[in-house]
Amino acid sequence: MNPFFSNRRLIVLLVCLIFLVGLIGYSLSEQRTLSWPEQFVQDSVGVVQSAFSRPAYWVSSSLDAVGDIRDVYRENQVLKAQLEEHASVLVERNQLEERNAELEEALELESDLSDYTSHHAMVIQRSPDRWNERIGLNVGAQDGISEDMAVVTSAGLVGKIREVSQFTSTVQLLSDQDAANRISARSDGEDTAFGFMEGIDEESGYLRFTKIDMELEVEEGDIVSTSGLGGIFPSGITIGEIVSVQSDEYGLSQTALVEPAAASHQLDYVTVLDREAPGGDDNSEEEEEEE
Amino acid sequence: MSRLLLPLTIFILFIIEGTVFQIFSGSSHQDTWYFIPYFMLMLVILTGIFRGRSHGLFYGIFFGLLYDIVYGSVLGIYTFGMGLTAYIFSISAASVKRSLRMLTVVILGAVIALEYYLYGMMSLLGMTGEGHGGLFLTRFLPTFIINGIVAALIVSPVRYWFYTVDGRDDGR
Repeated sequence: MNPFFSNRRLIVLLVCLIFLVGLIGYSLSEQRTLSWPEQFVQDSVGVVQSAFSRPAYWVSSSLDAVGDIRDVYRENQVLKAQLEEHASVLVERNQLEERNAELEEALELESDLSDYTSHHAMVIQRSPDRWNERIGLNVGAQDGISEDMAVVTSAGLVGKIREVSQFTSTVQLLSDQDAANRISARSDGEDTAFGFMEGIDEESGYLRFTKIDMELEVEEGDIVSTSGLGGIFPSGITIGEIVSVQSDEYGLSQTALVEPAAASHQLDYVTVLDREAPGGDDNSEEEEEEE
Repeated sequence: MSRLLLPLTIFILFIIEGTVFQIFSGSSHQDTWYFIPYFMLMLVILTGIFRGRSHGLFYGIFFGLLYDIVYGSVLGIYTFGMGLTAYIFSISAASVKRSLRMLTVVILGAVIALEYYLYGMMSLLGMTGEGHGGLFLTRFLPTFIINGIVAALIVSPVRYWFYTVDGRDDGR
C-alpha cells in the first residue's frame, strides 16, 4: 500500500494549493468579466440545466395547482371585489399617462429614468451552497443581456446581473453578502429619503436600507423603490416595505430594515430590465464593448 | 458504456443539486433550517474508496472546478476543497470496505470536513459574517443529519454496483 503522502500526489496537492491562492486572487479582482473557458463551461452546463429545470418546474407547478384548487373559491370572492376598484384605477391611470405624454412632449424630454425594455428569462440554477445568493438564467449576451441590469419579478426587484456569458447569465440577489452589492434606493413616505440597499441583516434576515439622512422622517410601512440615480437601474421598481428604523453605529445616518416585496427563495421566471436612459459614466464603456 | 457511467452519474448529481433539488426545496421553512446537498461528494468519496485514491482525487478536482465555475463566486475554493477531501477520505482499507457502518461514517466525515472548510474559507474571504452558534442549528446540524441519512441509504447499492458492474470493466 502507498504511504499516505507519496511524492507524486503530494506535488499534485501542492500545485493545487498554489492554484487555489492564484485563482482566489484572480477572481476577487474588481471589474472582472468572465474569461472564455468559464463562459464555455457555463453555457454548456446551462443547456443541461435548462433540460433538467423545465420538467421540474412543470411537476412543481402542477403540485402547487392541486393545493391551489382548495383556495379558489375564497380567492375568487376577494378578487371580484378588487376588480371593480381596478377598473376605476385603470381609467384614471390612462388619463394620467396621456397627460404625462403630452407634458413630456411639450418639454421635449427624450428618455426618462423609468424607461426600459424587458427580456424574459427562466431560472435554471441556484448555487446549492448557500454561501452566496446567486441564480442562473437561460439568457446571455446573445439575447442582449449585459452586466448590472436589474432583475425583477412581478412583485418587485430581486437582484442584478453579475456575470454574463454567451447564452447564460448569473444574477446576484439583493440578499447576497458582498461589499459591491449596493443599489441606490429611495423611500416614499412623509419625506422622500435616498439611500443604498446594502445586503442583508444577518440577525433578522431583512434587507438593509442605509445612509438615510438623519433629519428625514422614515417610518414603518414606507415603500422602498429604486431611485434610478445609480446610473444602472430604471427608477420606480419596488424593493420592499420598511419594518423598522434605527440610527447607524456612529449615529450619523439612519438604517432601515426592509422586508423584500419579491420572495427570493422560490424563483422560477424573472424579467431582466434594460434601462434606456444613458447612465452616468459607463456610457463610453458600453460603446467600446459593442464594437 | 459502463466506463462513462460513473462520470455521467456524478455529473447528473452535480446538475440536480443546483436545479431540481433547488426547485423542490425552496419552501417557507427556509428561515428556521435548511440543508446543503452533498450527494456528488458522496459518490466521489465512494469512488476514491473502491477504485483507489487517485481516481477520487481526479474526480474531486475535476468536479470541484466545475462547481466553482458554475455555482461558486470565487474560483478555486471547491477545486482545492473537494480534491483535498477526496484525497483524505479515500480510505481503501478492507475494514472500511467491508462494513457499511464504517463507509457511512467516512462519508459523513468528508461532508463535515468540507462544510467546515467552506465555512472557514467564506469567513476568511468576508463572504459571510455569521457566527458559528447561529449557523450550527439552522445550517450545519440539518446538513449533517440529512446527508448522513442519505449516505446510510446509498452505501449498500453503490458498493454492490462498484463490486459487480464496475469491477468487470476496471479489472482488465
